[in-house]
Amino acid sequence: MIARRDLAVRVAERASLSPTCFRLVLETPGEISAHPGQFGMVACGSSFDPLLRRALSLAGVTRRAGATRVEMMIKEVGRGTALLRALAPGAELRLLAPLGNGFDLAPVEGARLGLVAGGIGLPPVLFAAERLAGAGVAFDMYVGAATASEVLELERCRAAAAQAGGELVVTTDDGGAGEPGFVTAALERRMDGGRRYGRLLACGPNPMLAALTRLARERAVPAELSLEEPMACGVGVCLGCVVELADGRYVASCEEGPVFAVERLAQRWWP
Amino acid sequence: MSVRLATAVGALELANPVLAASGTFGYGLDLLEFCPPEAIGAVVTKGLSPRPRRGNPTPRIVETAAGMINAIGLQNIGAEAFCRDALPELRARGAVVVVNVFGERMEEYLEVIARCEREEGLAGYELNVSCPNVSAGGIEFGHDPAPLEKLTALCRAATRRQLWVKLSPNAPDLVATARAAVAGGADALTLINTLRAMAIDAVARRPVLANGCGGLSGPAVKPIALRMVWEVHKALPGVPLVGIGGIETGRDAAEFLLAGASAVQVGTAIFRDPAAPLRIAAELERFCAEHGAGAAADLVGGLQWR
Repeated sequence: MIARRDLAVRVAERASLSPTCFRLVLETPGEISAHPGQFGMVACGSSFDPLLRRALSLAGVTRRAGATRVEMMIKEVGRGTALLRALAPGAELRLLAPLGNGFDLAPVEGARLGLVAGGIGLPPVLFAAERLAGAGVAFDMYVGAATASEVLELERCRAAAAQAGGELVVTTDDGGAGEPGFVTAALERRMDGGRRYGRLLACGPNPMLAALTRLARERAVPAELSLEEPMACGVGVCLGCVVELADGRYVASCEEGPVFAVERLAQRWWP
Repeated sequence: MSVRLATAVGALELANPVLAASGTFGYGLDLLEFCPPEAIGAVVTKGLSPRPRRGNPTPRIVETAAGMINAIGLQNIGAEAFCRDALPELRARGAVVVVNVFGERMEEYLEVIARCEREEGLAGYELNVSCPNVSAGGIEFGHDPAPLEKLTALCRAATRRQLWVKLSPNAPDLVATARAAVAGGADALTLINTLRAMAIDAVARRPVLANGCGGLSGPAVKPIALRMVWEVHKALPGVPLVGIGGIETGRDAAEFLLAGASAVQVGTAIFRDPAAPLRIAAELERFCAEHGAGAAADLVGGLQWR
């Protein structure tokens, strides 16, 4: 396990990615590493409102000119994320990272991996894609969004899939870009056409993860989901972010997750 | 100017007056990288029941203005697993450990204490008689003086260690419950636990928490907690108090000491900053130095009343 640290970081870059989403790059002089699927807890300010840090997936961790850059992609959904969007480059904040377990990126003999992202579920999937592409592991990448303008980081997704010798499939709910319909339907069409996957790795809205879980179970393909639960501490002590497992236990998603193999999860994940 | 942080809660001597509160610091070993248990005044464990508890369905937490509401439902590993898996290392590290005890019936409190009495290296017990989340559970002990006195007396008879009772701010008469706990033999009182509260999703027209209601904590409750510590201190001036409720800074801790608390617990602040108990102790030391207090204990009950 990579050690958890509470880092003093500085905003190195902030850029709009879509009408609702933005990129935030945080820089620290220290050297840290992280595994795709891990996350960080970001303090949105020093006041008591909002009180808690925000749990955000890491989209990438790179070392450059003696500093570590931690990239996040964030959807503005409330006060905390609005404060983060308003940060100017140079602003100082706290980042507790890396947290959680991350995806299993081991190659599977004789089959590609299938990477599936829905909406703002892209960051951990893109982190995994770029890490896998660099390691020469083959995968296809499925990226779904509500509309064309909400498709994030298309060029990076395309480059990673191309480097991995795989296909990039883009879908939009309204058909404005790529294939019309849900990203899981596009995945199912290809699996119906004979495409085989050694493992599926996914992050996105719960209905998408439920559809993917049903598909993975029907086709007996191993799958891992990155889940999002309301989280206060991120370090295993508040027990707010628990996920119900098939054996009935509640486990903290900040420690045993946020990535879970589908067979571990309670049935309510694929209603 | 050097400041003495060492203090005592009744007969229990502490290296500093800042403790980690139950339910916010795991079993004492969960945040070693940020806050080693031996470096703080004491660790109060997650509430332990005789057997493991699964806890409530989700969502369990929701953020509110300067606070949060939780309905965790006392999920815990049980007294046996705590004594077997966590206590030996806590002991080896030299941490001061107070076991928070929870039961649905009086016998269950006694079961937890009996299990822990077989172990060395525990400073005492804190009875959770005030968790508002378990409908079958402790709430009646915390609200009604007679059963609270009986429960406290039964636990008193079961141990010679320090016995604290954590009071509910939801009781109709706080001072009456404080007196009952002392009459039952409590060495000290912890106050306050969370305030019963609710958040509503107006669009869905549903409560946000699966449990419906939960307990409010964080800076939002601090003024209420201060008032309650002060009221109990005034009514029972000789009884050691442990203050808790929205403490985020050393200055907050100083306010609780002035209101009459001998020590404080830090809870929700740990969710914002996993090193909060260490930071707050250092800030308290600085506050004392800057304001002419040679010892943190000199602040206790020092509120100047016009």
